[in-house]
Amino acid sequence: MLGCARLAALQQLEYRFNLLADTMIQPFVVGLVEITLWMAFFASSGQAELAGFGREYYLSYALWAAFISRVSTSWMYESLMIQDIELGTVNSVLVRPISFFEYYLGQLMGYKVLTTAISLMAPITLCLFLDLPVSLSRLPLALALTFYYLILVHVISMIIASLGFFFTRIHHLTVAKNITLWMLTGEFFPLDIAPEPFKSILTALPFSSAVFRPVGYLTERLPVSTIYEGFLSVTIGLLVLGPVAALLWNAGRRRYSGTGA
Amino acid sequence: MTKIIKKYTYLFVSFFKASLMAELEFRFNIAARIVTDIVWYIAQLSVFEVLFRHTENLSGWTLPETRVFMGLLFVTDSIFMMLFSENLDRMGEKVRRGELDLLLVKPVNSQWMMSFQKVSVAYIGNFLISSAWLAWSLSQIESFKPINTLWLLLTVPIGLSIVYAIRFLTSATALFFTRADAINYIWYQVYRLGTRPDTIFPQILRYMILTVMPIAFLASVPAQIILGKSGPQLLVLGGTLSILLVYASSRFWKYGLKSYSSASS
Amino acid sequence: MINIETENLTRTYETYRKPEGLLKSIQGLWARKVEQKVAVHPTTLSIAKGEIVGLVGSNGAGKTTLLKLLSGLIHPSGGSAKVLGYAPTSRDPEFLKRISILLGQKNQLWWDLPPADSYDLLARIYEINPIEARSRVRELAELLQCSEQLHVQLRRLSLGERMKMEIIGALLHQPEVLFLDEPTIGLDIIAQTTIREFLATYVKERKPTLILTSHYMDDISLLADRLLLISQGSIVYDGSVEEFVAKAENRQTLSLKLLNPPTTDVSIAGHFQLEAGTRNIKVELAANVIGDVLQALMSLSPVQEIKIEEVEFEDVIHSFMQQDARMRASSSAPAARV
Repeated sequence: MLGCARLAALQQLEYRFNLLADTMIQPFVVGLVEITLWMAFFASSGQAELAGFGREYYLSYALWAAFISRVSTSWMYESLMIQDIELGTVNSVLVRPISFFEYYLGQLMGYKVLTTAISLMAPITLCLFLDLPVSLSRLPLALALTFYYLILVHVISMIIASLGFFFTRIHHLTVAKNITLWMLTGEFFPLDIAPEPFKSILTALPFSSAVFRPVGYLTERLPVSTIYEGFLSVTIGLLVLGPVAALLWNAGRRRYSGTGA
Repeated sequence: MTKIIKKYTYLFVSFFKASLMAELEFRFNIAARIVTDIVWYIAQLSVFEVLFRHTENLSGWTLPETRVFMGLLFVTDSIFMMLFSENLDRMGEKVRRGELDLLLVKPVNSQWMMSFQKVSVAYIGNFLISSAWLAWSLSQIESFKPINTLWLLLTVPIGLSIVYAIRFLTSATALFFTRADAINYIWYQVYRLGTRPDTIFPQILRYMILTVMPIAFLASVPAQIILGKSGPQLLVLGGTLSILLVYASSRFWKYGLKSYSSASS
Repeated sequence: MINIETENLTRTYETYRKPEGLLKSIQGLWARKVEQKVAVHPTTLSIAKGEIVGLVGSNGAGKTTLLKLLSGLIHPSGGSAKVLGYAPTSRDPEFLKRISILLGQKNQLWWDLPPADSYDLLARIYEINPIEARSRVRELAELLQCSEQLHVQLRRLSLGERMKMEIIGALLHQPEVLFLDEPTIGLDIIAQTTIREFLATYVKERKPTLILTSHYMDDISLLADRLLLISQGSIVYDGSVEEFVAKAENRQTLSLKLLNPPTTDVSIAGHFQLEAGTRNIKVELAANVIGDVLQALMSLSPVQEIKIEEVEFEDVIHSFMQQDARMRASSSAPAARV
């Protein structure tokens, strides 16, 4: 599987312009766009604080949320997985000794490690430049949770990709899923400013470990217990969705008609 | 001239019918697309619904006004997605696979073909839902004059042309770069700028989205005009920009074709 | 009447060498080695109206590039081309209505639609009367024996059936100039034969100017009047098929059985070595030495089952290619001239 990670890294380096855009330009742009929303909010609301945190805090949150959510979203490899099944090129993966799951998990991780390492510079620079609150010593633990969450993301990708055995052209599910996750992860706003009962539900779900928990921890909004809770809820998610993915995959392979190449 | 218009109209209708036939095959997909966009609508709306719990005013916009803005965004977006999403999003793929070749040997305008070949008929559902939302949110504003909806006949085509041109320009970079997924992602971010009322942004950015990357004409400017928050003067700017940008897209396309070299043998 | 003419037409690609390994790949982020590759060397050609030209060459020789240059799909790096009086790259709609290109396994028809619907769309694009178009489709489909599949979605058809549909699509607007790039590649024998025979009938009736590339010599020998051999971007032979076979060292295959195989290795009239114990002999020789070889063999032992055959066109091409490759590898001398 390490070989797959290395393969992914090599492939990405090949398209250097893309890599640049993906890791540097994109997080910058997203971060700035979200920051402007919060700046506008504090400028027009006449408030100095929201839920106990000041303007600078939310700017920092918005920035880190943009960056971390990029790390914890899988669209590219999921699309590749779906495409493989759709076009029938999955055949070439199925005959290899490594499983489809491992093959793509390796690639996903390889890619994420590479792009995370490079784009880390973006939010760090901006935070220092704009003097925004962040506790960099907390970064390793925050990232650990995010990467652990990625495994859950990959399991969900497997579920969606397996549906490709039953339905043709399911790429829209990826989009739907990602947009739904958008809302559930806390990318747009810290989940604890949402009204009840949303607030409780959203924080309890494993998806809060995608953005809200790691960023909340990193920006000192939340204590370290949030990370432990995050690990727990993601593990529960894996225990629930893992078997579902396995079941679907096997059922799908049985049904597989082998269209295409 | 009429012969050309007739030909392209016939073609468009044929593409529409063909797309409809093709898409009806994938019922699951149609449902998925509608669900996807409803989720997107909820996501977009939720940000403002939550924020407005903590403030009355956001850079000069109230919650009812923001809802109208979102309604306009959704309506224009659904039309844009219906006409162009499939074509422009897949352009990079087509170019990469060398499928562009088969288009270039036909006696039709290749840019037009690339842009209109497939109509994503499923978005009609979204168009209906978003129009309903727009109508409802407009009805919630006491000072609203229904006659102002006529402005939509101008603002929507202008907004669509501008968004089309910008999207086309980004997609056409596929002629130069073999893989441009990241450019697509940048496009989504530019588009994102259009999903917020322009007054939210700092002055420089606001200026940019009204001129250089005039995404403000997607929803922000139309909303202001229809709500009476500003006069229609901006439409003159919008109209000019839309013509310039579409022209630029055409020139860029021709330039790109020259450097285009087909994939593999 | 000349339909296609080129003058010093050439095409060069820029490509870079992909570095090996992770470290070099990171280096590749800012430093890349660019290489110039010539796909087509300056080529001057003239093809008359109604001529059927077979373009033959090994993979990567430049066949498809040449076709793309002539159809206007890619711009030449130098020189010029004129097809039907137009510069192909002008992409004049009037020009495009009169030509057609079929590229191997690429589909121009819409994947999710039945071919019949795709043809309706094509009819609009080429401004053909829809009723007239449908009757043309019927005619062509009958000849290609695929009328039943016209209303089945393209993606559900087999490769052979898809190819037939693509051919119909390419011929729908009755092009005067036709470029066919590997029309029978990857197809089963029956499909190949059907398509081949169809094309033979079609070109006899309609007399288009046709440039055909193929790896199957049967396509070329059945259809083409003129043969262009292309090697590493250069045309190394331009003449008729018969001339080529005649010129390329009139060779024949001799097969026979020896009743009494030799007990030791022996040289046969100085033309080849016969190993001890060999009973069955099959050898390719220049026609003028067959007599000597036969005499030498018959003096060794009584012979049975003598057969003398003309060498297959395919084998001539192959041996030419091999010879050409060898000459190129050994020196940077120009390619083998026939």
